[in-house]
Amino acid sequence: MPVDEFEFFLEKHWSDGFPVVTPTEARVQRMLEATRRDPDELIGHVPPAMEPATVRTVAIHALMAGCKPEYLPVVLGALELMLRDEFNMNGVQGTMHGVAPLMIVNGPYARKIGIHGGNGCFGPSFRANATIGRAIRLMMLNLGGGIAGIGSATIFATPLRYTACIAENIERSPWETLAVSMGYRADENVITCAMVESPRLSFDDVSQEPRRLLNGIADSMVAMGSWNMHARSDMVVAMGPQHAAICAEAGMSRAEVHRTLCELAGRKVRDLKNGGNWRRERALQFPIDVDPDDEDCFIPAIKDPADLHLIVAGGWGPCTAVCHGWSGGSRAVHGAYRID
Amino acid sequence: MCSVHDTIEFEKRGVPATVIITQAFRNACVFQFKGKGMEGHPYIELPHPISNLKPAEMRELTLQYVDQIARQLTA
Amino acid sequence: MNDLPWIDPTAGSGKAKIALAPRPMDLAGKVVGLLDNTKEQADIILQTVGDALRERHGVARVVIRRKEHYSKPATNALIDDFVNEVQLAIAAVGG
Repeated sequence: MPVDEFEFFLEKHWSDGFPVVTPTEARVQRMLEATRRDPDELIGHVPPAMEPATVRTVAIHALMAGCKPEYLPVVLGALELMLRDEFNMNGVQGTMHGVAPLMIVNGPYARKIGIHGGNGCFGPSFRANATIGRAIRLMMLNLGGGIAGIGSATIFATPLRYTACIAENIERSPWETLAVSMGYRADENVITCAMVESPRLSFDDVSQEPRRLLNGIADSMVAMGSWNMHARSDMVVAMGPQHAAICAEAGMSRAEVHRTLCELAGRKVRDLKNGGNWRRERALQFPIDVDPDDEDCFIPAIKDPADLHLIVAGGWGPCTAVCHGWSGGSRAVHGAYRID
Repeated sequence: MCSVHDTIEFEKRGVPATVIITQAFRNACVFQFKGKGMEGHPYIELPHPISNLKPAEMRELTLQYVDQIARQLTA
Repeated sequence: MNDLPWIDPTAGSGKAKIALAPRPMDLAGKVVGLLDNTKEQADIILQTVGDALRERHGVARVVIRRKEHYSKPATNALIDDFVNEVQLAIAAVGG
């Protein structure tokens, strides 16, 4: 009885539950034409199983995920960044948490290959978003062994573990991109990765001025059950362009919005003690001075401004998306990637 | 998880080692030992969760495993 | 091997086996290293283990080290340093 190619891969312990594009040699060769890099070049070892990822290995996983060849440079660039020590892929693969490496792709190449940052950017319908993020996840599953219940103790995972790749909504953003805000040129192709949960949506169709608007968004940043309140942690705030416009029209720069969110997002000890993950020992480990025995002490969600990754993304509408981070010592990474 | 990694690094350097985990991480622990070439390496498994045990309770629970630890570190 | 008309990229075969370090007959007179990964309760667990190994199993001395963070492996420097000082090791707490 001939082996059904779809069943063959769907039954793999590292399957993400969806069919893959069958990796034939011919398809892999076609994928490798998108890069001048040597197929045997080692990108790195994916923890915790530490299996090697060469350029060819990455091409195979990108192909299986459904990537077009022109997406391969982004997948290669992203994996290189994600294997940096400070990103702590090892910790995230094993953790009980459900965070995933969200890729925010800036620069002209992302636009060229169609990474989407407008309506529905966190959801289905956009091949580049879906397949680039999926290629990374397939490698984390197969090469890294971060499989729920086997190599990973994740309680729920989150849907962001299927795929996690977006661009900003450049057309409707009043500000510079995340990459430019970090000092890159606008014509550089840059990926930023942060370990975060699926977004929670913060609706506000009432605010007409920034203070109230940002106050509401800050509220979505400070849940008792969010690790952002109890550890140093990254956070992504994807302001919808309608919300960004309210701030920009009031004369606020991206930096000012960023600063205001950092100031507003927090809760007093008195509140935090009433539920969630509050332990005074955790507060004593913050890289900032707080007094966990002072009930009026304000605990900020953002312990270091560099941990808040503010972008403009999504379609037009009164909503901002907030993605909470992890507890375990992952620092977001960013870098320019080559497109050849 | 990293305590497994650390345990393996001790073994590689000739130092007998074991790791104490909680039950929720059993699968990850077994998987990691296997994946790193030490399939079947012993470990100590405490019930999960432990984070809310008071110090005296934690000590009392831990004492139940000391002899098992000694066995894993000796021939 | 693979007679299928496609590539099977499943990873994980052929991992070289690492042998267990040889175990001593008993713990009497030994120095035991306790590696605290900073997770909740690790300190109490290791303190308890250390005391009990000395009292019940004749361990001469325990040395406790704390890692930077529970989700990161100990640095090579820390482990190398540790193995110069101890003859046995216990890591806690994975979880």
